[in-house]
Amino acid sequence: MKCESCNKRHATVHLTEISGNEKRERHLCEECAQNINNPLVKMPTPADILSSLINQVAPEIGEMAKTTCPACGLSYLEFRSKGRLGCPMDYTAFKKGLTPLLEKMHGASQHVGKVPSRAGKELIVKNEVLQLRRELDKAVEKEDYEKAAKLRDRIFELSTNNEEKKDEGTVQQDR
Amino acid sequence: MRELYSKTGEWLKGTGPESDIVISTRIRLARNLANFPFLNRGSEEQRKEIEKLIREKLKEAALTKDLHYIKLSEVSPVDRLFLMERRLISREHAGGDGERGVAFGRSETVSVMVNEEDHLRIQVIRSGFELREAWKIIDEIDNTLEEKLYYAFSPRFGYLTACPTNVGTGMRASVMMHLPALGLTHHIEKVFNAVGKLGLVVRGIYGEGTQAIGDLYQISNQFTLGKSETEIIEIVESVVPRIAGYERMARKALMTENREQLEDRVWRSYGMLKVARMLSSEETMQLLSQVRMGVNLGLINDISMETLNELFILTLPAHLQKQEGKELEANERNVIRAAYVRKRLGEFQ
Repeated sequence: MKCESCNKRHATVHLTEISGNEKRERHLCEECAQNINNPLVKMPTPADILSSLINQVAPEIGEMAKTTCPACGLSYLEFRSKGRLGCPMDYTAFKKGLTPLLEKMHGASQHVGKVPSRAGKELIVKNEVLQLRRELDKAVEKEDYEKAAKLRDRIFELSTNNEEKKDEGTVQQDR
Repeated sequence: MRELYSKTGEWLKGTGPESDIVISTRIRLARNLANFPFLNRGSEEQRKEIEKLIREKLKEAALTKDLHYIKLSEVSPVDRLFLMERRLISREHAGGDGERGVAFGRSETVSVMVNEEDHLRIQVIRSGFELREAWKIIDEIDNTLEEKLYYAFSPRFGYLTACPTNVGTGMRASVMMHLPALGLTHHIEKVFNAVGKLGLVVRGIYGEGTQAIGDLYQISNQFTLGKSETEIIEIVESVVPRIAGYERMARKALMTENREQLEDRVWRSYGMLKVARMLSSEETMQLLSQVRMGVNLGLINDISMETLNELFILTLPAHLQKQEGKELEANERNVIRAAYVRKRLGEFQ
């Protein structure tokens, strides 16, 4: 018996479906049966969730509709329908539209994590300070003043060092 | 690749903290090269160029002494499935097409997928609950690669990725947990709901969109932007022991209130594995799951956790076919799987 779904392979799976009072027999090959039996095929992927999200909240879409990335040629609308960006430059080109989207998705739109050393010491320190400030807030909230004091000192140390470095940098450039 | 067939990765040892409930810890980082489009927008030529560039740099970087690189376009679908079953590559990477590859070390702790959704997906898997350890390893690998490759990064949005759901840290920290008692007592849904409120998600064992079989679940962070790697790890780290505690509570409750039923269930599963002549992959996982819980509860004493953990992987379709050295139909596989399980567990006399 051939599989009634693909009509190619041999039917090895025989199912009886009962809906209400009706009984229906199905003869399928293993592959087609698996597709039918796998309820997860229907589970939305993050991409699906993203595109539904995109369709729901689109106040800036009119404004962004004509925007196209100069580097890869992807249009903002294409991104909104596919949920995938075309190149790293898109994050700059579509910044206005992306920022609220990222806010919805992650609850934030500013990166505070790791910074590649190539991006420069200044940025690394800036991010560390940002990070320490958040920890400081948490410590104060928990009334852990000992930890808070340590964090405050560290922040102060980092910020002043960074300022000094910047000054040195400018001096060197001036020369 | 042949020497992989008969052994398993180090993450299956069944060691590490909380290893009665936490099988393994995995961290992955998504990275892209600054000078190329993302893969969905790149040409076939660019794809090849990226693959070649990263492959060469990976060799140069010598992340581990014995890094092995496999071009996925040059291996059979069974081999790709095999790598996926071993969690060295994702389901998407196994099924995708075009020039792509994976590099991994002998212990299978580290693997780097090239040209998956992003140019690079670096992952580290450890046995048991070891997020900090895993982060330390992956952070170093990332630093080493960063010296060789020019990553796409912006101070505002962090590491730039093809899908905005991964942007920022590009990090997914996940912990694979074995939660049979929460399943049996129907508390698992509650756990999922609670976890969701904390910004974490629950997935099946092969990641996004896969089913949870054998009571195995992956708990991981949902957000990648606006929180640092350490903060993300802290969240996962604080939640996992609570879920494990909840699972232990459910086990204890079953042991005191329904001991006969629980013992019956565990022993029947063990018996079934020892006598069955045909076993599907899914049934095997379900039975192994019950036996694993039985071992944890001290009901069964004559089988090691390592053997059980191993059986979860070695009885999967591609692993069986590789051990047999030929492609097998599902029915043939079920017969061979049952025979293999009987051999490993000691046949009923």
